[in-house]
Amino acid sequence: MFSETAKKELEEIRLKYPNARAALLPALYLAQREFGWLSPEAYEAVSGILGVPKAIARGVGTFYAMYKHKPMGRNIVQLCTNVSCMILGAERLVDFLKNKYGLEPGGTSPDGRFSLVIMECIGACGTAPAMLVNDDFFENLTEKYIEEILEKYK
Amino acid sequence: MIKVTINGKEIELEKAVTVLEAAKSAGIKIPTLCWHQQLEKYGGCRLCLVEVEKMPRLQTACTLMVTDGMVVRTETEAIANVRRSVLEFLLINHPLDCPYCDKAGECELQDLVEKYGARAGRFTEEKRKVPESLEDPVLVRNMERCVVCTRCVRMCEGVQGAAALGVISRGGHSHIEPFSGGKFECEYCGNCVSVCPVGAIMSRLHRHSYRPWQLVSETETICPYCGVGCTLVAQVRDDVIKRVVPRIGTPVNNGLLCSRGRFGYEFVGSKERLTSPLIRKNGVLEESTWEEAISLVAKKLGEIKAKHGSDSIAGIASPRCTNEDNYVFQKFMRVTIGTNNIDSTARTGYAGAQAFIENIFGQGSTANLIPGLANSDVVLVAGGDPTAVNPILGLQIRACARRAGSILTIGHVKGLRHYSPVELRPALFRETLALEGIVSALRNKKGLPGSNQILEAKLKDINTTPQEAAGACGVAEKDFAVFVDRLSGAATPAIVIGKEIVQSSGGNYKLFLLAAINYLVNGRIYLLSERANEQGLLDMGCAPDLLPGYRPLAYAEFRKRYETAWKTAIPERPGLSIFGMIDAAKQGSLKAMYVMGENPVYNLPNSRDVEAALQKVDFLVVQDIFLTETAKLADVVLPALSWSEKSGTFTNMERRIQRVRKAVSREGMEDWRIIAEVARNMASKFHYTGAEEVFAEISKVSPLYRDLAYEEIEKGQSIYPYKGEPLRSTVEEISVDKGAGVVAASRFYLRLERPLFHSGTLSRKAAALVNIYSGALARLSTADAASLGVKDGDVVRVSTKIGSLELPVAVDGAVEQSVVMLTNNFEGKGAFCLAEYAVDPVTGAPVIDCNAVMIEKVER
Repeated sequence: MFSETAKKELEEIRLKYPNARAALLPALYLAQREFGWLSPEAYEAVSGILGVPKAIARGVGTFYAMYKHKPMGRNIVQLCTNVSCMILGAERLVDFLKNKYGLEPGGTSPDGRFSLVIMECIGACGTAPAMLVNDDFFENLTEKYIEEILEKYK
Repeated sequence: MIKVTINGKEIELEKAVTVLEAAKSAGIKIPTLCWHQQLEKYGGCRLCLVEVEKMPRLQTACTLMVTDGMVVRTETEAIANVRRSVLEFLLINHPLDCPYCDKAGECELQDLVEKYGARAGRFTEEKRKVPESLEDPVLVRNMERCVVCTRCVRMCEGVQGAAALGVISRGGHSHIEPFSGGKFECEYCGNCVSVCPVGAIMSRLHRHSYRPWQLVSETETICPYCGVGCTLVAQVRDDVIKRVVPRIGTPVNNGLLCSRGRFGYEFVGSKERLTSPLIRKNGVLEESTWEEAISLVAKKLGEIKAKHGSDSIAGIASPRCTNEDNYVFQKFMRVTIGTNNIDSTARTGYAGAQAFIENIFGQGSTANLIPGLANSDVVLVAGGDPTAVNPILGLQIRACARRAGSILTIGHVKGLRHYSPVELRPALFRETLALEGIVSALRNKKGLPGSNQILEAKLKDINTTPQEAAGACGVAEKDFAVFVDRLSGAATPAIVIGKEIVQSSGGNYKLFLLAAINYLVNGRIYLLSERANEQGLLDMGCAPDLLPGYRPLAYAEFRKRYETAWKTAIPERPGLSIFGMIDAAKQGSLKAMYVMGENPVYNLPNSRDVEAALQKVDFLVVQDIFLTETAKLADVVLPALSWSEKSGTFTNMERRIQRVRKAVSREGMEDWRIIAEVARNMASKFHYTGAEEVFAEISKVSPLYRDLAYEEIEKGQSIYPYKGEPLRSTVEEISVDKGAGVVAASRFYLRLERPLFHSGTLSRKAAALVNIYSGALARLSTADAASLGVKDGDVVRVSTKIGSLELPVAVDGAVEQSVVMLTNNFEGKGAFCLAEYAVDPVTGAPVIDCNAVMIEKVER
């Protein structure tokens, strides 16, 4: 279930849009924040409050990659392996994450600290390779630099 | 006038339509996949691409509107190439398993590939593998075959309004799934099956047992379940109904069906069907011959009539049987037996409510067209969930909401909860106060129209304040005012009344108040009807005080008319109502009963008492297709033919007379024929060669069906009262009995659940419906379940003064507090064995809302 503050927030979100369905995307983000991922219960909660049928809500949610449909680690590492990043060694970085933190692409580290998502281009081709950790942006990555960055995320 | 040229052919159009429709009107076929006549346009499949001069790219014909001077080509080599490519893409992941796909032969993808090619695809990658989903009892999903045209999603959301399906994921991973990913857990209307162009969503009934081209016959007939009277097509092979489908263009349901109509037909082939007559010998029902059974019935009834008089015999007719069956039955009771003791379960609500309303507004005033609901600007629902009792009618209410109409409900209506209803939820036994509040607020706001003095005299003294009414519903006065404002501002309001109101204490007064609302807002009333021919049975005169054609028995001139037609005297004294019969049986004054196609021991409240009463009757004849609870008590059981095995007519709640046609054959006799045989054995002249001849007599004697013949009915427009004018508008004195008023004194009260998936004796023999909803449940509100410390699946003992049942709990957010909802649909677990009743003094309906209930958890 949503916390009382989240419920209130959701009602405020709802009022910004002409109809309930239009409010689905921010509502699902809110649910993801509250539940950690979009579980069936999260969809039911959103559907219950917005009055949008749950099958429709799930259809919308599963369209977008940034909604997570399985439990995630405490921090989400999103690494780009598209052309520029790949040329500048992103795949080496994938191996590094695997060896150092036990992070498989699409998986979660055994300690639940990180989840790794492989991204398609985050618009940093000039400063590749690049990644996002939660909402923070990092570029010109090296193995050492990654190690330093991840140190800050517990 | 718009002129367009399609394939060199000039077409003139009155108004702008899509290119697809314009082409269709000129007989030019453009291939489609995602387009469907019943659904919103989508433009997703790209198969209807056409060339339009002066437009740079190919255009989708299904979404492009024609403009004057437009030149279109639908079949060129370039178009064929594109269509071939589109199909090649669709086949990337399609398994091409046509040899064992049930859809083969009527698959739109198969037909298109056959026409445009792309048989050998150029993709060498492995096809996506998705196991077929068989988790659901009724529907099977095969996502390898799916072409993601989203017809099912649009049907489910935009037409059915269940919104149980969605497109999950995206791109090449897109697929259709119900929320759970496995079971549909939906309304099981199966309308997704109807619109699926490929074999992706299919029915599991008779799976892999036929090919579409092997279906040897198709019979258009009427659904045997509720009073809406949907047309359905029974498709038959080897004399077995393999499939029931709707047809686009039929008057009531127009291409849609509900779960009962589509999946409920299997009872016809049930192994439990009675095959030969049974006679009780030494206390045991034994198989016998027709000759022996019929002559025994005739002999015994003759003896009892001679010894105890005609009025010691009573008959119960059936809202499941055809007009012809019911007509012959009442004629048998009146002519051969010589009594007006004939009634039916229509007495449990529909008959009395209709008589009451039509006494105020004129006969035929409750006969309103079902599709008309969608065009109302306000629909007020009171006394039940129309989407469960009369599902196809419920869809029209949903359509009304979708067209920006307002839905107002008295109480919570589960099936309309997604349609922003304005609800008034009166506390237990305080509905009257809420309705009175609405009446007086409307009267004060709009004034009295002045056209019905008798009604106005009665409603002048109603002075419940908005404050009191709002208080009874636990809402603020301003919310109550919103409700009233919506009603008073309505231009074309409709009021839908269900049995819950009729069967509640003070039911007739509540009906009066609803009639008053209807009068003040100038609306139309719809009465929900649970049985296929409830209306027809009343038209046929299966009531103790009415002759065929609704002619009151009390008037000598009407009696005379039928006496002339039937060449016999008709007793003047009205007969016993169904509840009067039960009382008379208990007292011992009723000696014999003839029950046709009804199961009073189960379908009447206080069913154990009814059972005891019928046991006291000296001679009980039951004519049915199953050995029902009632048949088990009988002295003679006569097996009848079911709805699909005979010919006849049903009259729906709109008073539309429709043809029931024989789809499969079976040895035996129709109900009317059995009765005619008994009558003949009692020296009455009942000579009919077929149902049509019975109908010919009906159309001769009944003013409602005057001059109608099967031929005319088959055109589908036989509906009365003609042109919406009431047949008779006798506003007689309106008698109303408010009753004493009930104060909630018990922690819980019994309420009846009328589920979408069941309707008693027939549906519980339909395997698919039983698979969907398989056993009786005790439904409790979330709060009550918590306070009792029970959760889903826990067993509780539900007891009233007269009995108790142990049932699993279902926690249901839609249930009101302080009530427990039980169904009367499962063998040995019927809610009616717990429900005492009193008869409403005006409508004659049983009042069953005062049954106090104790609930205790059964520890296992």
